[in-house]
Amino acid sequence: MSGPALLELDSISKHYGNIIALTGVTTLVNAGEVTCVLGDNGAGKSTFIKIIAGAHQQSGGVMKVEGEQVLFDSPRDALGKGIATVYQDLAVVPLMSVWRNFFLGQEPTKGWGPFRRVDREKASQIAKDEMAKMGIDIRDTEQAVGTLSGGERQSVAIARAAYFGAKVLILDEPTSALGVRQSGVVLRYIIEARNRGLGVIFITHNPNHAYPVGDRFLILNRGRSMGNFAKEDITRDELIMMMSGGAELEALTKELEAASGGDESIARVAEEFADELEERTETPD
Amino acid sequence: MTAQTDTNTGQGETAEPDERLSYRGPIHRLLTRPEIGALIGTAGIWVFFWAVSDVFGTVAGTNNVLDVASVLGIMAIAVAMLMVGGEFDLSSGAMIGASGMLVVLLAKEAGEFGGAGFPLFVGIPITFAFAMGIGWANGSLVEKTALPSFIVTLGTFFVLKGAKLGFAKLFTDKVIVEGLDAAPDFEFWDNIFGAEWTRNNQIWDSFLGGRDLVYAVLLLLGGAAIVIGLMEQTFKRRDGLEPSGLTLALIGASGATAGIIALAATDGVGANWLWSIVLGIAIIVALIGFGRWRYEPAVRAEKSTTVQPTVMARNVGLGLGAIVLGVGAGLALDSESQTEVGFLLTVQGLRAVLFVGLAVTGLVLLILAARHAKQSPIVQAGITALAAVLLIVLAFIVQSEASSRKFRAEFFAWLLVAGLALLSVAILRLLFTERRHIDQSADRLGRRASIIGMALVGLGVVVRLLFTTSGEVVPGIVTYRISVFYFVTFAGVATWVLLRTQFGSWTFAVGGNKSAARQVGVPAARTKTILFMVVSGAAWLGGMLTAFRLNSVQANVGDGQEFLFIIAAVVGGTLLTGGYGSTVGAAIGALIMAMSFQGIPFSGWNSDWRFLFLGVILLLSVLVNNWVRKKAEGSS
Repeated sequence: MSGPALLELDSISKHYGNIIALTGVTTLVNAGEVTCVLGDNGAGKSTFIKIIAGAHQQSGGVMKVEGEQVLFDSPRDALGKGIATVYQDLAVVPLMSVWRNFFLGQEPTKGWGPFRRVDREKASQIAKDEMAKMGIDIRDTEQAVGTLSGGERQSVAIARAAYFGAKVLILDEPTSALGVRQSGVVLRYIIEARNRGLGVIFITHNPNHAYPVGDRFLILNRGRSMGNFAKEDITRDELIMMMSGGAELEALTKELEAASGGDESIARVAEEFADELEERTETPD
Repeated sequence: MTAQTDTNTGQGETAEPDERLSYRGPIHRLLTRPEIGALIGTAGIWVFFWAVSDVFGTVAGTNNVLDVASVLGIMAIAVAMLMVGGEFDLSSGAMIGASGMLVVLLAKEAGEFGGAGFPLFVGIPITFAFAMGIGWANGSLVEKTALPSFIVTLGTFFVLKGAKLGFAKLFTDKVIVEGLDAAPDFEFWDNIFGAEWTRNNQIWDSFLGGRDLVYAVLLLLGGAAIVIGLMEQTFKRRDGLEPSGLTLALIGASGATAGIIALAATDGVGANWLWSIVLGIAIIVALIGFGRWRYEPAVRAEKSTTVQPTVMARNVGLGLGAIVLGVGAGLALDSESQTEVGFLLTVQGLRAVLFVGLAVTGLVLLILAARHAKQSPIVQAGITALAAVLLIVLAFIVQSEASSRKFRAEFFAWLLVAGLALLSVAILRLLFTERRHIDQSADRLGRRASIIGMALVGLGVVVRLLFTTSGEVVPGIVTYRISVFYFVTFAGVATWVLLRTQFGSWTFAVGGNKSAARQVGVPAARTKTILFMVVSGAAWLGGMLTAFRLNSVQANVGDGQEFLFIIAAVVGGTLLTGGYGSTVGAAIGALIMAMSFQGIPFSGWNSDWRFLFLGVILLLSVLVNNWVRKKAEGSS
């Protein structure tokens, strides 16, 4: 993959008044690669995606789309550059059929003047084909999206974004509300999207979901970048450690021990926690 | 026993899971439509009032119902669209009166008491602009402030209500404004908003063989198209056509035609009998032939599956028992007695209630039993055929026992048709394989045939309602108002917009999940504002229709009716939470309300009862809607 990366971020920072939400974040997204953005709650993940999606503007740093420096005014702006965002709970209208959801806002029409109407058959066929490309066989595109499983719902949104020419796909916590199996389904679609040549930004707080699909990992903690690694430079356990912040875990262990007082059960939890911490810190080296 | 059957069905489903999931038959799909509760309700209420009242169901009675339904329906359709879009408009009722009043005030001669003296060519567009303005204001306010539309439009409601009273008093010193017909160009506009159609003057005797022939032909063609549509959607097409089937179908069809011609030509009872049987058999032969021609015959790999004999047998037993009891009650109780037995019910009435109630219960139980026998097609067909035969027997009991001509002739005929239909279903399902997968060309053909069929039947009814023959005796003069035309047209246009256009898609989307809609580029605020304007535009039309009907408008016209519109929409299957609903349903909901408003006085009851009736209907329809939808979605 020669030439400039699909999306390149250099020392991006964001201030809300005197609050520093994000500082010095650098990463890149290549076509046909998955960049995972990991971090615990409040790590700055949502600020980060809002900047890329065009909902906010960065306060500092440079963002380049295919080598061209950009500053987005609105989500529409970002969409125009081929950056599409799939929000976890805002993705679809549950009571509407699959094909209506797929083409919502951009319905293909036929006829003229007052008789202009949605070309149902075409829309239905395209939706079916596109979903099939994602590996989902939608038997009846008239089916309400609400009757699909959580993972399939996300995939409708993913397939839609891909169909409408997205080059970079931002997935905001697509697996967080899903069970194990459904998460697996979504991860498969992420890989499908990647194989079709999209650059995927996968935001999650679950390193176990990120590691298998990711090609590159950006770890955020308290608004700071904890590192930006290619897959070969990092192991799963390092990832987990970095993500939660080893120092913080230790502090948490102490707190738990202190809180246990006479309570045996809490003490046991604290002990287990400490053991695990030890194990984790040992293995990487 | 139950557990065993459950595992049986379970295995059947795992064997071919896709096929089971993929295709839902036409009946099943109908049941998942939002309108279904209203449709069932309409049928029930219609039959109820038709049976109880003499006027209801005649042309004059239908006209009365349509008259009440029209303005209500126009509003309910618009309100349903807005509710699908996730908002309410409580000012919709007051808006009717406001636009009606405005047009009168603008047209009234400038004199001692107010009036602007404008010609209607000026006044009516101003009124329309006013209505659009109110709708736009409602929509923009709701969107800009993000306040619930309930509150915002409640405000508009009071503003309009106060303005109506205030200006009426100010300009005319009365709470009514009058004198629309004094406007110079009144005639022209009266043709648009106040036109009438007097049925008694529209005699259709000779053209195309007269109204009755056209009516009958339309009904038959429509019925045939519907049947073909249903069969296309139900059965599996065979590879290549079977010509012998077509021959058989044509023989059946010509037999049926001969039967109909003979029936029409002879009025002798003996011949009637003979030809009715010929007709019935011919229709079944035609159906079987048609099926042989196009569809895959059933494969009878007689599986040794267990039917649920207990439940089935119990239902069959109970069903038969209920029917026997019903017939017994019908025979035992005196049909002439007017003695009251309590609760306003005469012996005669009690007899009717017992007979109808028990017979219907019995038939329903039999059909349920047939459903339980899903595993064995032969048993299922047997039970269905038994129900069909019982229906026909009941028809003859009704014919011989009923005292009024209505029951002896019309009801008898309908029961026979229903029995014939049920019998055909039993035979066809036994003979042909049901489709278990999507077949796009068959689905399309089936859908189109059904729609064309329904349109033809509808056209037939319209022909019959609009025209009379010199032989027909209808008491009184039946005059339709043009509001009915607007009602039907608006229902059609609104349905097309909602289901077929981009705007319709956006309406569902903003009501279902506004942020998702906005996310993918739907102009949510504009969509909602337009919906508010549609409602106020409908209210403007309602105002014009009211004003031109009476030439005067009272200050309180429409106040408080906003809830009736919402009720009609909800009865029609529109969700209060938005994102789901139907304009056809709202139109049917309006019909239901009009039927109960008119049916109660027609039946000789105090019209105060209508609100009680309305409340019960509202609750029932919501329950039925909920239940049917859950059941249909759950089992699909």
